[in-house]
Amino acid sequence: MIDSSFDRRDFLKVMGWGGAAVALSGCGNTSIEDGKETVVSYVEAADYVIPGVSVYYNSTCAQCDAGCNINGRVREGRVLKLEGNAASGINRGKMCGLGQAGVQHHYNPDRVREPLLRNGDRGEAIAWDKAYALIAEKLNGVSGDEVAFLSGGVSGHLKVLLGNYLESLGSKNHFVYEAVSPAVVRAANKKAYGNEMPRFSINKAKVVLSFGADFLGSWVSPVHFSQQYAQFRKGVNGQRGVLVQVESKMTLTGANADRWLVVRPGTEGVLALGIINALGASGVALSGDAAAASQGYDKARVTSETGVSAEHLDKLVALLKERTPSLVLAGSAAEGYAHGSQNAAAINLLNQVLGNVGKTIEAPAVLPFPQMAPAKGSSLALKSLNEGLAAGKYKVLFTYGANPVFTAPGSMKFKDSMGKAAFKVAFAHYLDETALQADLVLPLDSALEDWGTQVPEYLADGAQINIQQPLMEKLHPETRGMGDVLLALIKQRQADAYKGFEDYYSYLRSALLQNKGALGGGGSDDDTFWDATLTSGIIKLAGAAGTLSASSAAGLKLPEAAAADAQFPMHLIPSVTANLRDGRHANQPWLQESPDPLTTIVWDSWVEIHPKKAAQMGIVEGDIVEVASKTGTIKAQAYLFPGIHPDAVSIPLGRGHEAMGRYAKGFGVNPFQILDAVYDQETGELAMHETRVKISKVGQRVIVVKDEGVIGGKQDGRRIALSKTTDQVKLSEEI
Amino acid sequence: MKDIREDIAWAKINKDVLVSLENPRKMYWVIVFSALALFSVGVGCEVYQYNVGMGVANLNNPNVWGLYIATFIFWIGMSHSGTLLSAILHLMHADWRKPIYRFAEAMTTFSLMTAGLFVMVHIGRLWQFYYAFPYPSERWVWPNFQSPLLWDAMAIFTYLSSSVLFLYVGMIPDLAICRDNLHEGWRKKLYTFLALGWEGTDRQWRNFRITYLTIACFLIPLAVSVHSIVASDFAMSQQPGWHVTSFPPYFVAGALYSGCAAIITLFIILRYVFKFEDYMTKSILKKTVRLTFAIAMVWTYLNAVEFAAVWYGHDVDAKQVLIQKATGPFAPFWWGMIFCGSVLPLILAFKRFQTNIPVLFAVSLLLNLGMWLERWMIVAPTFSHGYYPWVWDNDQWPSLVQWGMVMGSFGWFTLLFMIFCKVFPSVSMYEVKEMVYHRSLHLKKDETAEQGAH
Amino acid sequence: MSVGTLLENWSEFRHFHPVDDKPHDPYKWAMSIDLDTCTGCNACSVACYAENNIPVVGKEKFQHGQQMHWMRIERYWSEDDREFPDQGAQFLPMMCQQCEAAPCETVCPVGATNHTADGLNSQIYNRCIGSRYCSANCPFKVRYFNWYDYPTVDNVWPAEMTRQLNPDVSVRGKGVMEKCTFCVQRLRAVEVTAKSEGRIVREGEVQTACQQACPSSAISFGNLVDPESRVHKQWAAQQVVLEADEQEKNKEHGTSELRGYRILEELRPYPSVMYLEQVRESAV
Repeated sequence: MIDSSFDRRDFLKVMGWGGAAVALSGCGNTSIEDGKETVVSYVEAADYVIPGVSVYYNSTCAQCDAGCNINGRVREGRVLKLEGNAASGINRGKMCGLGQAGVQHHYNPDRVREPLLRNGDRGEAIAWDKAYALIAEKLNGVSGDEVAFLSGGVSGHLKVLLGNYLESLGSKNHFVYEAVSPAVVRAANKKAYGNEMPRFSINKAKVVLSFGADFLGSWVSPVHFSQQYAQFRKGVNGQRGVLVQVESKMTLTGANADRWLVVRPGTEGVLALGIINALGASGVALSGDAAAASQGYDKARVTSETGVSAEHLDKLVALLKERTPSLVLAGSAAEGYAHGSQNAAAINLLNQVLGNVGKTIEAPAVLPFPQMAPAKGSSLALKSLNEGLAAGKYKVLFTYGANPVFTAPGSMKFKDSMGKAAFKVAFAHYLDETALQADLVLPLDSALEDWGTQVPEYLADGAQINIQQPLMEKLHPETRGMGDVLLALIKQRQADAYKGFEDYYSYLRSALLQNKGALGGGGSDDDTFWDATLTSGIIKLAGAAGTLSASSAAGLKLPEAAAADAQFPMHLIPSVTANLRDGRHANQPWLQESPDPLTTIVWDSWVEIHPKKAAQMGIVEGDIVEVASKTGTIKAQAYLFPGIHPDAVSIPLGRGHEAMGRYAKGFGVNPFQILDAVYDQETGELAMHETRVKISKVGQRVIVVKDEGVIGGKQDGRRIALSKTTDQVKLSEEI
Repeated sequence: MKDIREDIAWAKINKDVLVSLENPRKMYWVIVFSALALFSVGVGCEVYQYNVGMGVANLNNPNVWGLYIATFIFWIGMSHSGTLLSAILHLMHADWRKPIYRFAEAMTTFSLMTAGLFVMVHIGRLWQFYYAFPYPSERWVWPNFQSPLLWDAMAIFTYLSSSVLFLYVGMIPDLAICRDNLHEGWRKKLYTFLALGWEGTDRQWRNFRITYLTIACFLIPLAVSVHSIVASDFAMSQQPGWHVTSFPPYFVAGALYSGCAAIITLFIILRYVFKFEDYMTKSILKKTVRLTFAIAMVWTYLNAVEFAAVWYGHDVDAKQVLIQKATGPFAPFWWGMIFCGSVLPLILAFKRFQTNIPVLFAVSLLLNLGMWLERWMIVAPTFSHGYYPWVWDNDQWPSLVQWGMVMGSFGWFTLLFMIFCKVFPSVSMYEVKEMVYHRSLHLKKDETAEQGAH
Repeated sequence: MSVGTLLENWSEFRHFHPVDDKPHDPYKWAMSIDLDTCTGCNACSVACYAENNIPVVGKEKFQHGQQMHWMRIERYWSEDDREFPDQGAQFLPMMCQQCEAAPCETVCPVGATNHTADGLNSQIYNRCIGSRYCSANCPFKVRYFNWYDYPTVDNVWPAEMTRQLNPDVSVRGKGVMEKCTFCVQRLRAVEVTAKSEGRIVREGEVQTACQQACPSSAISFGNLVDPESRVHKQWAAQQVVLEADEQEKNKEHGTSELRGYRILEELRPYPSVMYLEQVRESAV
């Protein structure tokens, strides 16, 4: 029963539906407290649990933010394997390697198993109620402004609950941080299309021109894009889609391109404007803005600045002109500079010139519940948090879903700043670098044990809310779901409002049932709707179609190319690999042993150097090289890699942990440590690709541990992996 | 130079040989204990490998075979010359073989036993090795009769049992001599038992000759087939560098070659250790050396045949393996094999070296090193440079465990051999007597041989 | 347990060779992999680890070449000496090709690797004695030997992680050979179900783990003798014939406009995996 002192508006807010764009139906239904359910123990197995027979539950992958819907195989109460949920519009039954490894997150031997309180250098196990009491005690007398909460991207009811909790503390300091996020592109998209993440229909494009967007590997929603890519390759009427990738270091997507154009680092925008210029010259009508922006970017200038040959430029322009619609993507390579926003804007302008907006760039569905929409992470958030911490502004710091001590650029000295907060609470799965700095570590359930709702940032297939449900009983009795923890914490503040919810499950169930009409369960009773929801794992929402707004690119101007740096002559490209991303999953051994697709290296970091450059410097494979920036130096093995600009070196992110667990600690190096503090001028995001370095041989040499054989991926003239050109095949006759 | 002095009294022969059962030089014990130490190293390696897994040998995918198989072939090959000397030369009535065939025959037996061990240490699940035998299983499961490895197992087992039988049968008259001349003790009982009541009657001798000849005839095709079958392990596979038609004769030639070289080595050792200078004469040594030289040339020819067949054939992959052997990371070993196997034996063509014991000792060891390298060069390069370039891998240097077991095998072989020579007469007394007798018939004026009548 | 049995079995032995007159009935499992849609992302490989209880050997053993990935993604560069790989790389998922006349089968001394009636190259772990002859004779080198006793090696499967192991698949101890099985556990399950329902397995009823995961659906798998199966249609459209050692379409010019091919076909193992060549745009 709803307490009489608890009015309707508060109620809506508690449940996360406040401000909903859709009218609540069935409001006033008093079944909230009926939401109590106990999970039947396995000893008294439910009749659907048959030893030897697998059952499958739908849930949501939590390994990245793409929100793929998964289908977990459970047998004898153990989750065995994760498959894609075939009914999902996002991943359509498919899974990436990172997602597959989710079970290793769940069963990881290095998970934190009980609340740990700092005692000197050690963590002492304490009980949960003591931990909660301690938090209440530490928050006592601290103003809301002195509390900061750092989280990764959050969405759904967890975001609501988190917001409500911070509000109950009187704090507005929620910092949503993702070390690797397309934040600059979001801003540029917002400007160009009126949407941060429009839908990119790769499958509808005849040509995809990607400026460093690794959409097959790690960009935004790779599993979804991979399926679109497959359709794009099959093409329409046998006309196969053409992929051209522009970047300074080959990504997985670049490795699949029909033409991979290596550009001088940072000149992506120049090339985009050069293409606009050439298109204009070849008769494509340009808007005034486009003409103005591309003015002066003639072929001679563009080829000399970017290093792309005139021949390739001409062919590309001809192709873009001839085959429409096309799709131009601005990715992490383009945005990672101080002029990243301008780069992205120039690239987006190319889409407008080519008339792709509305054809291959479409409006995303509008989520009817904006408060559920994901809080999108950026590195700007970490910057401001760091400044606040360094200034001693925050006394209590919560961290959840982020590992800033590992991922903050070395120039930020985040670890030192964090030390200035008097009380640091880490909600953690592992004792990672950040948790080790905390005073109190609270162990969380894995995503396969926890309840939740999630809304992906990239709505591939209409608006939807993903359901996360436990696939099995908890492995460790003393871990808690993040929702449960937040509920317990918020009860410290607003006991009355939340007293009806024994746990996060009952909260979630109540919340969803409360609004089942809007969630597509209008006609059914609560249990039917609830069962159907859990069964499908997806709530598809009938949302209004969004709109794209045309925008002007007035005033777009790229900065002059930066002068060569004599002391630090090389560009450092910290690469994001599909498996390790920002390193939060480095303790999953499948991911460590899964070879990097391009170099086939496992279990270690490497420095990619172009063979020509390496020959000049006398570097051979396996030489330990020192990579020094203004901020710091790291040493790693050299790998001679043809897919990189000779003036750049690349080191993958995600390895080099000093803590976290047996599979992560001590393997490789962490290039975050040597990133300089250079920021995008418009958005203030960290310019990941702006760090300049110098490299030198240390004098040691190691054997590079990799899968490829001694001849480095050559076929020696044998017919192993074959290739044809489009004029040699008849794709139309294929099935 | 005479093969043997015609004037040795038969009693002296008995005495000289029998003394070897009692009182060898100190060097004997040095050799025995060194061998024991080496063998212990091998046992230690095997215990470690058995417990931890084959991985400690530093084998990998695709380099799944290593020194174990190479050394296995080496020991199988070593076994052939015993048969050559005892059976083939017996049939050819080359009586100079008589003082040395016994130990050569023992060498055959013991090298087969050594080779057998390598099959054991090589397989991943030693405890299930009997699956390879065609025993009547309750599950009606037979081994795969298509597999050359199974033929191998059968051929070796047959060869080993026949060799033991041949060795034993040929020893019966000598065992009787031992029985009659040795003082009481466990040995006497052993010889009494093993001599099977031999009294040297006419009938016994007649039956003995027939039996011995029959086994000899049986053994010769067996010996040829054994190494042909070992060759089939490779030739019947599909891998470049292995799929060579000439492999069976090539293997047989190599086998005889290494066996002869080993006979020279052991000849020199036994001659010294057991003071057999009167029986293991330089003349016999010279004949053995000449035989070895001839076989070396046959081997060299067959090598050239193989290379030419590969070089002028159309099998690009096989040709690449050959080129890789000669130029790749295996080149030092491959050229070492060519040098030791084809160049070094040319020394043996010079008369002055044919009886030079220090030179021959060194050369015979190097010849066998060459033959061991040959086996390694057959096995390893094909794995590191097969059909599939992605898995090419030349860096697979055998671990100390592998080397330990190779060393251990030499210890094991030497140990068995030296114990045999101490327990059984390593020179055939009755055949040496025959030999002396036949030579002495040409010297009718000389009465010495008559006096030696026993 | 008699010689009679032996001889009787012998007549059946290796009866499933493609040149034999006995057709595959009702199943012949086969695969086709489109290298033009394969992106090399490694999802299939990780899925294979998850499904088939493949041990993670760790850095040191990987360095020694003792990795166990049944499915490996090979990455090839073009071999003309261009400065940059400006047409990308080539990725090739390679696993056991389930050859019809498998070189590994004939050489196993104990008959631990055999051909099944539904066209698989099976591996019987319990029978294997670890001679490794099969791997020695495999042209593709897709057989992986258990160099160590992985279930007891530190950090391969710590206590919690053993609970992830698929109970339908044996966990292999030291000394046995293993390789891709085409997810035989999944095949057997549906075959038995279909049989009990008096029908054959329908197209789409079973997927291999790699196929199921593949984000770009580059892998097709199914019953080659079922005219309704996608694999059958693809093989037919590509004019790739299982029992040929040289395809008719290639005989005249050595190549054709169709992309289907089998690797090392000329060695006559008759692989059950067809690859479709990668394509690159000629206009750019």
